[in-house]
Amino acid sequence: MTEKNTDNKKVGVYICYCGGNISDHVDVEEVKKRAEKMPNVVVARTNMFMCSDPGQELIINDLKSGKIDRVVVASCAPSLHEATFRDAIKRAGSNPFIYEHANIREQVSWVHHGEPATDKATILIASAAAKANLLTPLDPIRVEAKKHTTVIGGGIAGIKTAIDIAQTGINVALIEKSSLLGGQLNNLDKLAPSGEKASEVLQELLDQILTHKSITIHTDCEIEAVQGYVGNFSLSISKKSDNKIEKLNIETGAIVMATGAIPYIPFDGEFGFGQHEQVITLQNLIQILKNNKSTGSILEVNGKRIRNIVMIHCVGSRQIPGIHQPKEDGKLNEYCSRTCCAAMLNASNQIKENFPATRIYEMYRDIRTYGRGQEELYTQASANKVVFMRYEANAQPEVSLTRDSDYPFQVKVKDSLTFNEEMDVPADLVVLATGIEPDDVSGLASMMKLPIGTDKFLLEVHPKLRPVEFPITGIFLAGTCQAPMDVGEACNAAGAAAVKASALLRKGFIELDPFVAEVNPNKCQGHGACIEACLKEGALTLVEVDIDGKTVKRAQVTAAMCLGCGACAAVCPEKAIDINGWALKQYEDMVDAIVSDGFAV
Amino acid sequence: MVSTHIKKFDTLVVGGGIAGLQTALDLGDQGYKVAIVEKDASIGGKMIRLSKVFPTLDCASCITTPKMSAAAHHKNIPLFTYCNLTSLDHDTSNEALGVKAVIIQNPRYVDPDKCIGCRQCEYVCPIYVSDEEQGGLSATKAISIPFSNAIPQLPIMDIENCMLCGQCEKVCPTNAIDYFQKPEEFIIQAKTAIITTGFELLPKEDNFQYGSGKIPNVVDSLQMERLLAPHGPYNRVLRPSDGMEPDSIAYVQCAGSRDKSMGVPYCSRVCCMYAIKQAMLLSGSLPLADITIYYMDIRAFGKGYEQFYQNAKAMGIEFIKGKVARIDAGENGSAIVRYENQDGSGIVTANHDLVVLSMGMIPGWNPAPICPVSKDSDHFITSIKPKISPVLTNMNDFFVAGAAAGPKDIVDTVTESGSAAMEAAKFMSNSIMEN
Amino acid sequence: MSPQAKKQENKILILATETCAYPGADSVGQAHSTYPANTYILRVRAPVLFPESFYFDCFKKGISGIIVMSCGEECPYEGAFTAMAKRLDGVYKKMKAMELDLKRLRLTAICTVCNRSFLNEVNQMDKLVRELGPPIFKK
Repeated sequence: MTEKNTDNKKVGVYICYCGGNISDHVDVEEVKKRAEKMPNVVVARTNMFMCSDPGQELIINDLKSGKIDRVVVASCAPSLHEATFRDAIKRAGSNPFIYEHANIREQVSWVHHGEPATDKATILIASAAAKANLLTPLDPIRVEAKKHTTVIGGGIAGIKTAIDIAQTGINVALIEKSSLLGGQLNNLDKLAPSGEKASEVLQELLDQILTHKSITIHTDCEIEAVQGYVGNFSLSISKKSDNKIEKLNIETGAIVMATGAIPYIPFDGEFGFGQHEQVITLQNLIQILKNNKSTGSILEVNGKRIRNIVMIHCVGSRQIPGIHQPKEDGKLNEYCSRTCCAAMLNASNQIKENFPATRIYEMYRDIRTYGRGQEELYTQASANKVVFMRYEANAQPEVSLTRDSDYPFQVKVKDSLTFNEEMDVPADLVVLATGIEPDDVSGLASMMKLPIGTDKFLLEVHPKLRPVEFPITGIFLAGTCQAPMDVGEACNAAGAAAVKASALLRKGFIELDPFVAEVNPNKCQGHGACIEACLKEGALTLVEVDIDGKTVKRAQVTAAMCLGCGACAAVCPEKAIDINGWALKQYEDMVDAIVSDGFAV
Repeated sequence: MVSTHIKKFDTLVVGGGIAGLQTALDLGDQGYKVAIVEKDASIGGKMIRLSKVFPTLDCASCITTPKMSAAAHHKNIPLFTYCNLTSLDHDTSNEALGVKAVIIQNPRYVDPDKCIGCRQCEYVCPIYVSDEEQGGLSATKAISIPFSNAIPQLPIMDIENCMLCGQCEKVCPTNAIDYFQKPEEFIIQAKTAIITTGFELLPKEDNFQYGSGKIPNVVDSLQMERLLAPHGPYNRVLRPSDGMEPDSIAYVQCAGSRDKSMGVPYCSRVCCMYAIKQAMLLSGSLPLADITIYYMDIRAFGKGYEQFYQNAKAMGIEFIKGKVARIDAGENGSAIVRYENQDGSGIVTANHDLVVLSMGMIPGWNPAPICPVSKDSDHFITSIKPKISPVLTNMNDFFVAGAAAGPKDIVDTVTESGSAAMEAAKFMSNSIMEN
Repeated sequence: MSPQAKKQENKILILATETCAYPGADSVGQAHSTYPANTYILRVRAPVLFPESFYFDCFKKGISGIIVMSCGEECPYEGAFTAMAKRLDGVYKKMKAMELDLKRLRLTAICTVCNRSFLNEVNQMDKLVRELGPPIFKK
């Protein structure tokens, strides 16, 4: 037997037969004999099924008796049983992070056979044992968290988020920049597709939020600064009231961005907008219908009888570089605004059902009535004799004034539904289906380091599976600040953001993975290379510390913000920073074990 | 039937697809005890069976597996897979008890406590059966784990096709094979239920104009997902009838959606995007193939979707506006697509080597007669407040999320699932306060 | 005393990300597809952890080929993939200066079910290192 260094860790190696799955190809007893000779390995055992209770008992007994203080199990893929063995270690009263797994089924016995399989299993175990030798007990990072959430934005998404979070026993501050809650809902009337009144939907939620004891509403407020991290954010806010500005601070555990969006305003001359008062936006039309008192069979607007309406879809949406003319800022809205098709058809149906003598021509690219109940709006519009004409993106309708007709406008369109025939449609009123644009929240976003997408909407972590989260832990988003969506969709997003915030804060503290960077203060020289390499702004900072009476700079990790990616460890010239549980030094020793063929003599 | 056990939870989630997993995780993370009941042998639903997802082109399996394993390892979330519901209602004996579900655990003929998922039984089994997990395009064994990343990793025995040769029993290292396993009934009591039963594709057999599923190389979109998946039936895109590499592939949109004659007047909401996604993936794996999408309207309404559509056009995928009237079998395994072209050329026919039907979505589960929750005229579960909270149903302790409440893509499903978890949590915290 | 493992030549080190490539390798195992046994897969969180020197140390220690199997753009650590790819550019430059065959180091993205790509990468690298033998440092 080789001499064992007593300063080192006492590694126990446990090798699984997996009922033949491993032992049919790997000589398990031979591997055990070789493992016994590996540096720091004090015991090697085999079992038919390491995952079985008797298998786990082997580990527990050796830990309890003090024979070992580090554990390597060689068995199936870690995805299956790493958690099982960590639990067993916990049951033995030890720290679960003294464990390393050797994958000798999926990555050895099922893919290699005979002697090479036995040799490779040996080497993987040697490499796992080399890592185990460097493992230290770790504890989850515990961050105290305020049971308080701040919702930014008092539109429908913000209101719903606030109510939902408050209902789970967490205090909420709702910050709204205007003096009025409700956001864009204040400008809507009958909502597509089923005609609920926007004011009633809003009132139902206002009744809840205004009486809720755990919600504080701050209107006329601007956020001036945001500091801190998950569980412990601090917001500086200025509030306008009676011509004076009040300052207030909010300490909060989580933040939900519900800052909304704004309607697209066509540029001067876009389809005649801004030049003729009978060229209006969808939002204008909704206001007109909301307040309209016409009684006859024909719609009247400002005292004028509207015989023909031309509606032009996709104004300010689905813009294509090279085809559409950008606004002054050079920006194109390449996205679909999602809500305008249904809203437009909803308005058309209202007009046709109340004023059947008014004719409607809808010029569209694609009708996107995707949602539940929306296709019926489209079918209904056809039944109501709305005329649909389809234009291609590169042949947009042209609105021009007429001289010899009794209609003020004619709209020229190439209708691809009738073999691209060019037609002139006379119109008394032109309605532009203006979409949704992101509001400018770049100030807030840069304060909080929130990503903004190429479409200028706020950008979530993952567009499929993590739609209401930001990469900054503790900050969430809901509603149209993310992308166009309708009221129901915004309320769903609000609920989803609320459930994440309340799960995060419910205990008053947050437990995070211990796999974060740690600085060795004896080695760090304060070069700051790690800070430059760090991918997460704020996770690493240089702080001044006193060493032997001298003030020097040293790197400091904010564990609650660290991703544990290791970008810092790669660049430190002193090797003074490494990742707990996944250290660079551990990998170096693993490679040594591999190249020395499992420390074969 | 064995005598009945009662298990108690805060919430019962019916369906273990992405909606059920997300809603269970969001509740479990709040400390609620959540049971997921799933009819299939694995959780993961439709999403785990997809190739990639739009518009990110992430590998579906790679992003679903972590959710599945997060749920499977969550201390508050036990899974009940391969189970059928025989009733789901308020506990009629005592309203205060909340939700009561009677559940049958179907027999796998494998003891889940003994099985180690080593698949020795599968390798030794001499019987090949059609692999429904691969759209019926390849074969699997009469005893097998449903697919490689299934959770749990337990095989099921196809007792109909098993010839009881006993080889699996002999080879099993843990004596887990049990030919005499019986269905077991148990009861779940919970304070709330969330219905996340998802969708099915309208069967292509129902579509007479498109050949009632009998034309050889006319497949449905989920079969195409399997053909495109890296772990699909052939490991590459081949025509099912003869293994030929298709040179010309067509997508027929609204195959059973927006079509009253098929009983599906509504838009299925995801078909435009998955067809575009599949077309992009195809043009990657078969760079020389011509790909045509026949459509009525392209509904690229979600975040990043329109840009995705414009990219597809720029890649050379051909979009033809027109409703396909019928499909017939052509020569040498091809299919003839007949449609009305809008450029004025009238009725046109085109020959394609492979045709994909973007079939509409129908509910994955019909609550009647075992559950009194209300359905809408589209047969999906009714949302009583589609604006303020689309997850509320006509029963105050029953919630709905995902495609069970109408066709929906993954992101809208995930968002709605969070919302359903929130409403269920609110309901439970209210009832605590009232007590 | 039992016989020891034989000295193995031409070892290939595979740095496989725990969310994508490592489960991808497990999936190859589940399919029982065989590949050369001179491959050693290390599970990593993000390969951005490894400095340039790590790669050269590996070559100096006798590793013949290294495959970084990442998640590619699906990397769960925002910015890590780009930073790592940039670092590998630096490694390639130095390899060139040292007259090391650049093909000994390979960056690729492997998904959880990308069995074929995994096998391709491994077989190609195996063929290469068998042709080239262990790296020789001129200095």
